[in-house]
Amino acid sequence: MTRIVVIDNHGQFTHLEQRALRDAGVDTELVDNDTPPEEIDADGVVLSGGPDADRAGRSAEFLDIDVPVLGICLGMQIMASELGGRVGSGDYGGYADVTVDILDDDDPLVGSLAPETRVWASHADEVKELPDGFTHTATSDVCGIEAMSDADRDLYGVQWHPEVAHTERGEEVFENFIARCER
Amino acid sequence: MVDTESFIEDAVAEIREEVGDAHAVIALSGGVDSSVAAALAYEAIGEQLTPVYVDTGLMRKGETEGIRDIFSFMESLRVVDAHERFFDALSGVVDPEVKREVIGEQFIREFEREAKDTDADYLVQGTIYPDRIESEGGIKSHHNVGGLPDVVDFEGIVEPVRDLYKDEVREVARALDLEEVVAERMPFPGPGLAVRVIGEVTQEKVEVAREACHVVEEELEEYDPWQAFAAVVGKGTGVKGDNRVHGWIVAVRSVESRDGMTARAQELDWETLQRIQSRITGTNDNVARVVYDVTHKPPATIEYE
Repeated sequence: MTRIVVIDNHGQFTHLEQRALRDAGVDTELVDNDTPPEEIDADGVVLSGGPDADRAGRSAEFLDIDVPVLGICLGMQIMASELGGRVGSGDYGGYADVTVDILDDDDPLVGSLAPETRVWASHADEVKELPDGFTHTATSDVCGIEAMSDADRDLYGVQWHPEVAHTERGEEVFENFIARCER
Repeated sequence: MVDTESFIEDAVAEIREEVGDAHAVIALSGGVDSSVAAALAYEAIGEQLTPVYVDTGLMRKGETEGIRDIFSFMESLRVVDAHERFFDALSGVVDPEVKREVIGEQFIREFEREAKDTDADYLVQGTIYPDRIESEGGIKSHHNVGGLPDVVDFEGIVEPVRDLYKDEVREVARALDLEEVVAERMPFPGPGLAVRVIGEVTQEKVEVAREACHVVEEELEEYDPWQAFAAVVGKGTGVKGDNRVHGWIVAVRSVESRDGMTARAQELDWETLQRIQSRITGTNDNVARVVYDVTHKPPATIEYE
């Protein structure tokens, strides 16, 4: 069975990420973000959202363990700043209902949602510049970089929360990610 | 989703094994979680369980009578009238987190007395999964987590629904044939109407909140909200029958949600909103205006405090 662990960055919705994966039928576990990456046996990693990058523990080290990684909200921002992109505060807080435009129909993570999708968000910061090798895959009126992908390295980020009930087609994002993780 | 049949079987077996021939108590709030926990425990150990319901005076209209009714099959049910003691403890308290603490402490005192009186060795709690998460994350302190076990020296704590989400607890409630009113009941916060009045908790404000909540629940039934209620948020000027009124401002909130983690403010039609407004201002002399809250969660939470 495919096994995907969720690295807990103390987000309010972290447990819903675990639930979404459980409901999608994969083996999953919530893992403390101070856990040494070498102790993890998984086919994929979700970096959860959270209140503060200073409480992200060893999250960034999970980018190096050679399995697909999905960064959600803060998880995406950790991915961006660790790999050479830039994170800053947004001009407009992204809360609740946001309509996201998909920029890359072929993207393995969000391409299937094209042309647009309605999501639920909760963030003040956002990714301002992509890291090298990443493609800008989605945008919205309130946040320029809503999603980013590096399909070669199987690293994906979404600024919104696919795990909450109010995000339409959130399950699809997890299914797309699971497809990248399946052995 | 949870497989209710095997869940109930396992939960009952677990409680039976854990508690054995000993006595157990549970604090019954009337909400789905503690009702399901109580029903499972009753199924497992029968009258070895004493359910205790504390009437804090912060309950919804008709709530206490409803509890007596629904749980009349449990002969051991105790209803404690603690109304005055709660209002005394809350006098002068305005900070929302302190309010929760004061209510939690008073509740523990009430419950401690009853628990000691029954000689219970075990505590059954209706803690569900998000309760544990929210308390760990520090967003809001939760009445089900911590507290009780620190003051009463129980041999063990049994939390039969600890791994379930709210929607799953409701599934179990239905499978247990708990009357629909419990299974479908809207979530109601542990501190009750105290967090539906901003600032100090007074008899007057709580009375307004209680009547207004009742109107909102009645009028919005057809919208099938996850949660619908009214809160007393401050004072404003009005004019009633040519007289100036400096009266309460009542905020109406109605949201749809799956699990309470995110919520969407419901779109209500104007006539419904006006009927709510009219009933609340018309039957409460001290209410000057009614407003509707259009904020989703996030950025707002569902309750006001």
